[in-house]
Amino acid sequence: MKRKSRYMTLFGLLTMCAVALTGCGESKPTLKFYNWGEYASYEVISNFEKEYNCKVICDYYDSNETMYNKIQSGDSYDVMIPSDYMIERLISEDRLLELDKSQLPNLEKVTESVKGLDFDQDNIYSAPYFWGSVGILYNPEAVSTETVESEGWNVLKNAEYKGKIYMYDSERDSFMIALKALGYSMNTENESEIEEAYQWLKELNDTMEPVYVTDEVIDNMISGNKDMAVVYSGDGTFISSENDSLKYYEPEQGTNVWCDAMVISKECENPELAHQFINYMMGNEAAKANSEFVGYTTANDEVMKEISGEGGVFNGNSAYNARQGYEKDEVFHDNEVIRKLLSDYWIKVKASEQ
Amino acid sequence: MKNYKGLIYPYIVWIAIMIVVPMLMIFAFAFIQDDGSSVSFTFDNFKRFFSDETFPNVLKRSLGIALSTTLVCILFGYPAAYIMSKAEGKKKSLLVLLMTMPMWINMLVRTYALMGILADNGLLNSILSFLGIPMVQIMYTDSAVMLGMVYDFLPFMVLQIHGSLEKMDKSLLEAAADLGAGKGKTFLKVVLPLSIPGVLSGITLVFLPAVSSYFIPNILGGGGYTLVGNLIQQYSLTTERDFASAISLIMAVIIMLSMALTKKLEKFSGTEGSED
Repeated sequence: MKRKSRYMTLFGLLTMCAVALTGCGESKPTLKFYNWGEYASYEVISNFEKEYNCKVICDYYDSNETMYNKIQSGDSYDVMIPSDYMIERLISEDRLLELDKSQLPNLEKVTESVKGLDFDQDNIYSAPYFWGSVGILYNPEAVSTETVESEGWNVLKNAEYKGKIYMYDSERDSFMIALKALGYSMNTENESEIEEAYQWLKELNDTMEPVYVTDEVIDNMISGNKDMAVVYSGDGTFISSENDSLKYYEPEQGTNVWCDAMVISKECENPELAHQFINYMMGNEAAKANSEFVGYTTANDEVMKEISGEGGVFNGNSAYNARQGYEKDEVFHDNEVIRKLLSDYWIKVKASEQ
Repeated sequence: MKNYKGLIYPYIVWIAIMIVVPMLMIFAFAFIQDDGSSVSFTFDNFKRFFSDETFPNVLKRSLGIALSTTLVCILFGYPAAYIMSKAEGKKKSLLVLLMTMPMWINMLVRTYALMGILADNGLLNSILSFLGIPMVQIMYTDSAVMLGMVYDFLPFMVLQIHGSLEKMDKSLLEAAADLGAGKGKTFLKVVLPLSIPGVLSGITLVFLPAVSSYFIPNILGGGGYTLVGNLIQQYSLTTERDFASAISLIMAVIIMLSMALTKKLEKFSGTEGSED
């Protein structure tokens, strides 16, 4: 999901300029690839270019919503990597091309737990790329493991850690936490449950002096500025590989299991190349390079086991091995009415005086 | 000379595409309701803004932070501009250079640098703890936001005031001295009134971007620091474009009002001039 996006926006602009300057005069097939900032190894992309004698034009976004707004306003890309709920929305709006599985032999390598998730049950439109969970990254010297494990999400409201917490600045993730802490489904459509979750978050906001961050959480937790943070497991992997005193925990109340998957847009001009690209990205070599570079858990089963196993780069990193198949974990669903409701409530939570 | 008039057309086309058309679209989004079958005129988006105390409160907070940024900029900027205008030759060029130097670096980059300096375990606190002084928590507080805003906008204020002090006829100072005015009196009766246009255009240059800024508060105040700019961003991301447009329009009205106010003040201070 989100990572270091603002730096990447700058970087993206620079590379786009460079592409614009160098790309003239050649007529190789091109692939427009729209991805999260720093979400794929640059080497993998350039290897693909060499191997298939093509040009990959990369552009970056920092949230699913930014991506959606851009394609809605008329920009077209061939391959994108949105998250689950956004794929659901794109499918319902008929913006995606059906995948031709005969061109994607590597689809077989996808690990069981992210195969055919609710939003695309037969992987008709999407090929899983990275997946993970949302959890609490904490410093065991300041917050005891026992406390975190017994209190779960409620540790975020434990007055002892006032002013020591980073929340993730996104309404979806924050409401997920509140709803799970209250024992509800994070996809609830029951307005009184959502209202209760709003109260939960408002109370947290008013009493705990939380700081709402997105990608800044990475640098801040690496330098140990606060004791606890809500993070995506992939960020957790990266942060704890830089600062190994930190631990990652997925509360027993359940959490969000998410999956970012590759999709082909309906406007794609070269579906064959797009399929080749997706298949390449799912291959062992590319999956390994991407996952090690970004820190997010790959959907390629073999590679995932290799990286987290004995001698792997992220061996022993609890965030890399996100929880699989736990009944209280859920995947996000797209729901227009709830989306607006949460957005309004979230503004109210954050605008309330601390 | 007549032939050169054509050179204005590219600019007009540019303005039309980049400013007029988007403005019209914002108007359309804010006032027109399209429920699929019929299109109608509506005030709902504006009603929504004022029906709940959350949004006006955010507006108040934005105005408050912009106002205090402007005041602090005047307080710090005026003496600096005064000293600059008093300086001679090389020293003056050096001072002007020092004042403009931060602007060579992009604001975004500078704000990120501030983040590293102010962080709980950042440069500032490392220095403090090295000196044995208790550490301070600045990052993600009002002070951090103020610091960042003043740091980014101060040069605009200083340069404007400096400009108007520079333009001042030095013989007026001599005349004041001849007529027996002391230093303090000369400043209050001659220098200060003559520099007001500079202060006013400084206010325009600081207050307007400050009231709509969202990047600095977001970075230094944390995502919980909600200002009007953040509201607009949040709602355009959830694709509630009509509400975001209405907020933008409310913002535009406020900006226009404050521009009209500074224009009035300019007239009131007796001097036209310093158009920007």
